[in-house]
Amino acid sequence: MSSQGIFILVFVAFCIWYLSNQAGRLDRLHHRIDVAELALHGQLLRRGGIVAELAAVPGIDPALSALWGQAAHEVLILAEVASPARTQVEDELSEILVLTLGDQDEVNEIRSIALAASLLDELAQVSTRIQMSHQFHTDAVRDCLEIREQFLVRFCHLAGFAKPPVRFALADEFPEFLFN
Amino acid sequence: MRIGIVCPYSWDIPGGVSAHVNDLAQALIRMGHYVSVLAPAEFDELLPDFVVSTGKPRAVKYNGSTARLSFGPLVARKVSKWIEEGDFDVLHVHEPLSPSLSVLACWAANGPIVATWHSAMDRSRMMLTLSKLGQTAMEKVSARIAVSEAARATLIKHVGGDAVVIPNGVDVSMFTNATPMFGWRGPNLSIAFLGRGDEPRKGLEILVDAYPQIRKSFPNVRLLIAGPGEPADTLKKLSKVDRASVTVLGMIAPQDKPSVLASGTIYVAPNTGGESFGIVLLEAMASGTPVVASDLEAFEQVLDFGRAGITFENENSDDLARVVCELLRDEAKRTELIRQGRLRAAQFDWNVVANEIVNVYESVRVPGVKVEPDLTGQFMGRLARGRITPEPRGEL
Repeated sequence: MSSQGIFILVFVAFCIWYLSNQAGRLDRLHHRIDVAELALHGQLLRRGGIVAELAAVPGIDPALSALWGQAAHEVLILAEVASPARTQVEDELSEILVLTLGDQDEVNEIRSIALAASLLDELAQVSTRIQMSHQFHTDAVRDCLEIREQFLVRFCHLAGFAKPPVRFALADEFPEFLFN
Repeated sequence: MRIGIVCPYSWDIPGGVSAHVNDLAQALIRMGHYVSVLAPAEFDELLPDFVVSTGKPRAVKYNGSTARLSFGPLVARKVSKWIEEGDFDVLHVHEPLSPSLSVLACWAANGPIVATWHSAMDRSRMMLTLSKLGQTAMEKVSARIAVSEAARATLIKHVGGDAVVIPNGVDVSMFTNATPMFGWRGPNLSIAFLGRGDEPRKGLEILVDAYPQIRKSFPNVRLLIAGPGEPADTLKKLSKVDRASVTVLGMIAPQDKPSVLASGTIYVAPNTGGESFGIVLLEAMASGTPVVASDLEAFEQVLDFGRAGITFENENSDDLARVVCELLRDEAKRTELIRQGRLRAAQFDWNVVANEIVNVYESVRVPGVKVEPDLTGQFMGRLARGRITPEPRGEL
């Protein structure tokens, strides 16, 4: 075989290796996004559950109870659906929590109710986890898009039929007084 | 939760990362989790029962000091086996950019992986080559933790992306009731130093340069040096009288650390660089000893910017002498530093820190999704791989 032939062979082999490598990276990243999304999903559901429980605690101000119950209900009925509506109801829930628990005295008062104290602790914990889950999901999406946007990756259609990942645009707002 | 932790450095030789892994594992076990640690170790029979060894490590020069690492195809097989048998919910790798067990574990696993960065480094070239090599491993990591702002900055600069900062922990209960060694910390003033005596980055030389000046103001002061490595060369500089007031303990057992730290009127950490956290500072504070440290960023953070300890200009022995003399003169200031130091150390207690780390585990873990062996390293693996089928992804 001529040296030219060998050169072409090596070049083709390199291209195949490179493309398969990039496809492998994409595959890993899609996998990571899937897991991150499920994790975030789980934490959000858990928050909805805790708020619903909190609304049902005897002795809570009926107005608060109604607000929390309604907001948690919205989250929990939509829970199966991944949609822009989901972001909206989650943000609404966060907003309501910031409004109703935005005052140290208020939080202390609710804390004095027997069943509510441990639920508030759980709420604080799940809020931290949501924040982290959200950040890790966003990181994974960014890593993935970085590769998907490369010319060769688009040209060779390496991402296959996997839908482009979407950032979950949550407003990470949580009542800070919970954490004391 | 079933947690698999990978420690890339040898378990036989005490070091920052392996100590961290050991304490973390014990804190997690106390919390009721199942923990298995994978680490290189030469002597199997000395290991705690939660550690699985990958055999004798090799010595490698890395980041200015010698590290003992495990690498190679045989080790890779052991890693795969450990992952398969462990049935973990979360895999937690440490220092994942060193060519080590951690990278092998990332390659060999699929599922929720958490990585912790310990070091802050200036030497970027090594990092860059390794980050290309380790890129495939890094892309699998779902959550990253940095032990300090300095380590986080290194990570952002060299690898990209961000990390959650969770500091190192201290087992405060081990240090609170520390009693000084016999004959120490009585009416006589003393300075304690702990660290490798023969490693320039630990800064013993700076302290030894400052020592004669301190002795001029306080002729009765004594110096206590503990840690592996022979400091004789550095101590040659001292005059005979000064040398006579220095006690060299050599390597000390972990259980003696609290009393050694408590034996100093002041603890001095003259490290010149390469430190990303400064755990020993917290240990000194927990033992009730005021801390004087070089003004590395990591140290400033741990000392709460002057509230819990005093800093001097890095690599400036005159400034060190000045700061130490001032503090030896001012007993009220020392009492205040001891009080603040204990409060500061409590914020880094392992129980607090382990809780934060569990929060990270929970934020990446999905019930039902386990850490599985990744077979892509093997030729047929790519075809044979099973995968999770999550709910269809829409626009979130």
